[in-house]
Amino acid sequence: MKVTIASCVALLFGMVLFCGCGTPARRIDPTGTGGLTTVDDINFKDWQMAAEKGIVSLLESGVLERQDGRKMVLMISDVENRTTQHIDTRILTDKIRQAVLRSGKAVTTTAVGARGAEDKATRQLRQLEDDDMFDQSTVQKAGTAISPDMSLAGRIIQQRTTSGRTSESYFFIHMTLTDSKTGLGLWGDSVEIVKQGQRPLMGF
Amino acid sequence: MRSMMLAFTACCLLPFLPGCQSTVDTVENREKQMTPDQVDTSRVSTDAFLKGRLKIERVDRSEQPDGLLRVQVTARNVRSGFWSQVGSWFMGDNPYQIAYRFSWLDKDGMEVRTATQTWIPMSVDPGDTVRIRGISPNPRCKDFVLSLKENPVERN
Repeated sequence: MKVTIASCVALLFGMVLFCGCGTPARRIDPTGTGGLTTVDDINFKDWQMAAEKGIVSLLESGVLERQDGRKMVLMISDVENRTTQHIDTRILTDKIRQAVLRSGKAVTTTAVGARGAEDKATRQLRQLEDDDMFDQSTVQKAGTAISPDMSLAGRIIQQRTTSGRTSESYFFIHMTLTDSKTGLGLWGDSVEIVKQGQRPLMGF
Repeated sequence: MRSMMLAFTACCLLPFLPGCQSTVDTVENREKQMTPDQVDTSRVSTDAFLKGRLKIERVDRSEQPDGLLRVQVTARNVRSGFWSQVGSWFMGDNPYQIAYRFSWLDKDGMEVRTATQTWIPMSVDPGDTVRIRGISPNPRCKDFVLSLKENPVERN
């Protein structure tokens, strides 16, 4: 009887300890070096590193500079995801877009994109031409939107390797800038990320 | 007795020797053709460990034709001796894990935000020289601050 009660108390004590082992949720600095690192995913720090390297390379190249003083118009095209993961590549392209805008060297268009317009309002506003609710002198006219001079596209490739308990993921992020008029590539660069992890002997 | 102790210590350290020694040797041309614009720097160091491991050798800058400011900071991991290597191996500092972040200032000393204002991790092998590069987000930026810190998250 005494043994049973002692066992129950020990079990209860163990459960209390087990329940108390979790860490409460907390905010971490998105610019810091903390955060989770997983082998199979592109984590937020990987995106930030890829964007930083891509932006430095793009601005150093000088391809955004025009001789006639007019600003280049850049279209953000598609970044093809060839990994096994669901990835929202806009994390990368939006950072590059911001950097291009902040540089003052080029502007980006949201009226056209690889998967349709990013901002449908540009087209919708031109449909107000027949709407007598609006002062027609303030309605945007057809034929005024500016077509892009260049498009930014890319590709993300993942290669997985496993050896024993060690697994490795190699991510290859390639970005290109194409002249819309000639179809020629003006700039291209790639960022490589390799991540490695080892499974424990027991458990997950 | 003393020589036996020394021999015993040497035997104990011998297995670690191949694992510890992972330094980088470099060779370069002596007569340089480059004419970099070296920057006088002022440095505030709050981390004695970082200061003792990573030596900032030079800071160069150049302005692009489009007005953007390029900065290159050359740093070397000076922990390349035998005992330093043993210490680095013990501390998990081989390669040495650091993180850097550029901040850009306009002519009035106001910080100009960039699209990726974040700490970027980097590893430096003992004896190796790395060049940390940054480019200003726009032509209004005239000055810069490079922040460096150890990155224990990536430590072995």
